[in-house]
Formats: sequence, C-alpha cells, structure tokens
Amino acid sequence: MISGFAESVYKKYGRSVYELMEESFFKALDMAGLQRSDIQGFITTFMPGIFDDNVYMHFFPDQVCNYLGIHPKYIDSLDYGGPSVLAALYRAERLIKNGGIDNILLLFGGKGSLVREKKVTVDSFESLYENVTNTPYKSLFREYNYTNPLSDYALAAQRHKYMYKSTDEQRAILAVKQRKNANASGYSMFSGNLSADDVLNSSVISSPLHLLEIVYPVDGFHAFIVSKSAGKLRALKIQNYGEAHWTDIPPEQNDIILISASESSNKFRNEIKKCDFYELYDSFTITVMLQLENTGIVPKGKSGKFIENTSMSADGEFPLNTGGGSLNRGQPAYMSGSVLLYESLLQLNNMAKNQVKSANKVFINGIGGWSRNHSVSMIIGE
Amino acid sequence: MDLKEIYQVYKEKFNDKKLPYIECNNCKYNFYYPRNICPKCGSHDIKINESNGNGTIYSYTVMNKSIWAIVSLNEGFKMYMDIYGNNPEINKKIKIIFKDSQLPCGEII
Repeated sequence: MISGFAESVYKKYGRSVYELMEESFFKALDMAGLQRSDIQGFITTFMPGIFDDNVYMHFFPDQVCNYLGIHPKYIDSLDYGGPSVLAALYRAERLIKNGGIDNILLLFGGKGSLVREKKVTVDSFESLYENVTNTPYKSLFREYNYTNPLSDYALAAQRHKYMYKSTDEQRAILAVKQRKNANASGYSMFSGNLSADDVLNSSVISSPLHLLEIVYPVDGFHAFIVSKSAGKLRALKIQNYGEAHWTDIPPEQNDIILISASESSNKFRNEIKKCDFYELYDSFTITVMLQLENTGIVPKGKSGKFIENTSMSADGEFPLNTGGGSLNRGQPAYMSGSVLLYESLLQLNNMAKNQVKSANKVFINGIGGWSRNHSVSMIIGE
Repeated sequence: MDLKEIYQVYKEKFNDKKLPYIECNNCKYNFYYPRNICPKCGSHDIKINESNGNGTIYSYTVMNKSIWAIVSLNEGFKMYMDIYGNNPEINKKIKIIFKDSQLPCGEII
C-alpha cells in the first residue's frame, strides 16, 4: 500500500539533482507521517546524464541513501527505463508481504534539462563521449543520423500508418484530448487551448511525429512510500500485474508494432476493460495507440478510430491520462512511469482536481527501454 | 569465430563496400548485429556471408531532411541504416551503397 506520494517537477531546476530528489522525498514522508529512520527499503533507477550530467555512477543507489540519510535493509535499482517505477511498486509490495520490512521508498527521476540542452537523449548520450559505449553495437550505429527513442517511435508510427491506415489527424486528436485533461488537472506544465491543426502545424521532428506529440524532457523526481499500512490514504494495492521484457532490437523483431504490452497484459484482459480510468504511457502519441491495441482495449489497427470517437475526459466513457499525461506534465528525466502512477494515486484517493467519479480501479501501462522492450501492466484498486 | 573476429571481418567487408551478415549453419537464421552465438538456436556454428545488397524499406522516418530506416534485405534479415534518395515509402526498393560513412547505407532505386 502507498502511504505517501509526492512530486517535484520543474522545467529547469537550478540546483543539484540531490536537492531535487530530497524535496520530493520529504514531501512524501510528510504525507505518510513517517521519519527518515522509518524507511527500510530503497528502489531507484539510473539513466545516463540525468544525475548532474554523469554518464554513470558507481554504487549509485547506495550513494543516494547516504545523501538522504536513510539506512535501508534492502536496496535495488531497476533498469527498465520509463516503467521502472511501476515494476518497483510491485517488488516493494512483495517485499513487505514477505515480512521484516514495513516502509520502502521508491525514488525516480533526475534532471532531463542537462541532457536536453546538449541536444541528445539518454539513449544517445554516449555519442558525446568517444570512449563511452552504452550499447554493444555502437560501432555499427554511431555514424548514422538517428535520435532514439524518437526515431524508433517514428518508425513505429510510420509502420502503423502503412499497416492500418491510421492518420496524423488521429494522433493529433489524442494530443488535443490529453491537453483538455491537462487544462482541467490544475498541475500541468503545458496548458492552454490546443487544436488538432496546432498539432499538425507544429514542426515535423521525425516524420510522421510532430513537435506537439512528443514529450518534453524536464527535471523532476517522484517519491512513493510503499508501506505495510496505508496510513491516512486509501488502502490500495496491485490487483493484477504483468511485466514483459522483449530483448530483440527493433530491426530483429518480426513486427515493430506488436509490442511487449501484449504479453504483460495478457493474463487479465477482461479485468482491464472493467477499470474506471486508464493511464497509458505517453512518451509520444503513437505510444498510447500501440498500448490501446496491444493490451486488448481495442482491436489491432483500431486505435485511431477509437481516439476519434471516444470521450477521454474525466467524465467521459474512457477517461484516459486524466492529468494530461506526460505530454503535458513534462517527462521527468526521460521517464513517464511516475507521472502515470502519481495521477493514478491522486484519482484513487479522491484528491484530483479533474476527478473521475467513483475512481476505484485504474489500469496503468508503462513502456520503456530500447524502444518498446519493457512493458509493465497493472490494475490498482482497494 | 569470436566476436573480435566478426567485427574485423565486418570492417574488411565495409572497406570493400560489401554488406556482411551472419548465417547460422545449424538453423539457417540470418542476422546482422554481431553475436558469436545464434540468437535463435544458440549454435556457435556460424559463418559470415555477403549480402547481394538489395532490399526494401520496412519503415522510415525523415529528420532534418535525412532519412533513417529499417531495411529488409533480400536474404531475410533487417537492419537500421541511413537512406539516400527522394520520396521514401514503405516497400520501396533500395540498394546498399557506401557514402562518406564507413557504414552501409541504402539508396532508393
């Protein structure tokens, strides 16, 4: 159960990454009514560049615990990219159930602005350093003109258009519907009126994807405290869970729009359809479409029509990314998983401004890694 | 064949403006990204072949006027590459060329 949760998100944070994570940690402790000394477990992640510009840090989770002054019995770091935090929540619940640990801190984030300003992504951060390799095939890549993960999702979007005749307009409508939720959420970084034409008239960054269907990397941390007792919050737990790790790189996949979410969600497809609202990873518009289809919410190839014809507002037939998603919140340190989980907890605890009525069950799906290799699917409820 | 040898042969093939790929002698799976075990069957019995350099665009994206693609080669393996030419489309035929880059690129036929 989650006893405390908090976020600290900035377009550009002027101080060190350590101060930023400390801010979210203390806010979450405060909500949980706990002290630092109550934290007995710690789970985090590391990605290149997001920790004050470091390519890599040795014994990284230990160093964070040292800085925060916590002395856990259990330390871990998960390396699944964006959905890491969701997989961490599952592991934390299991650890607490096993006994001996009552409170586990999940701390996920970093400073995206430092990477952003270098005009690279975490995936291509190695290109800045002659002798640093983050992938085994670097020598067969480095001279090419690509920008992963953007270009990989663009390849998927292009393929989706070809296979299923989905359109740029359909993806733009998704961005518009998410913006409407962002405007109602009261805590979005990007707000204001947005039309499908605005999206379609924004620059094509990597065809067919436009600027306004791509997340903006920002600085931020989310802290979630998983506890034996939910404290003053609702006693929520993971009701259904699946994760999948497809290690083939995209050129070696048979079909780049058949993704790992099809496996992570396949044991509880019927339950997914009964949820009250949905938080789907939205690094790009196409990411949401691929999850709609691969988790069985809509049939293959039908996500475009579904987006056109379905209300996705908090009071609509399919409340989706009710806080506006990370397309509007900004993507803290190139990972959207925490944005999905944070909004889910606001809704389930009846604390959201754009509140879904009787929000008792959420389906969350996170996607990450080298393109779409890792997927975490879960339903959270009481 | 160890990984270092594979990379060495790849480099030599690139210098000769040829596209190498790996064939598993056991299960006949063809793949491009260097490993000394077959990712499908786990066999170490592999050899390096030369592609005939003909393929089609599996998917593509245009960024700053440059084209990045996954190309499907006639020998049945796919790989990433830069593409040169106009009006890229999925399924359009390409042939392998070597530009300023040491790495294989595609040219729309």
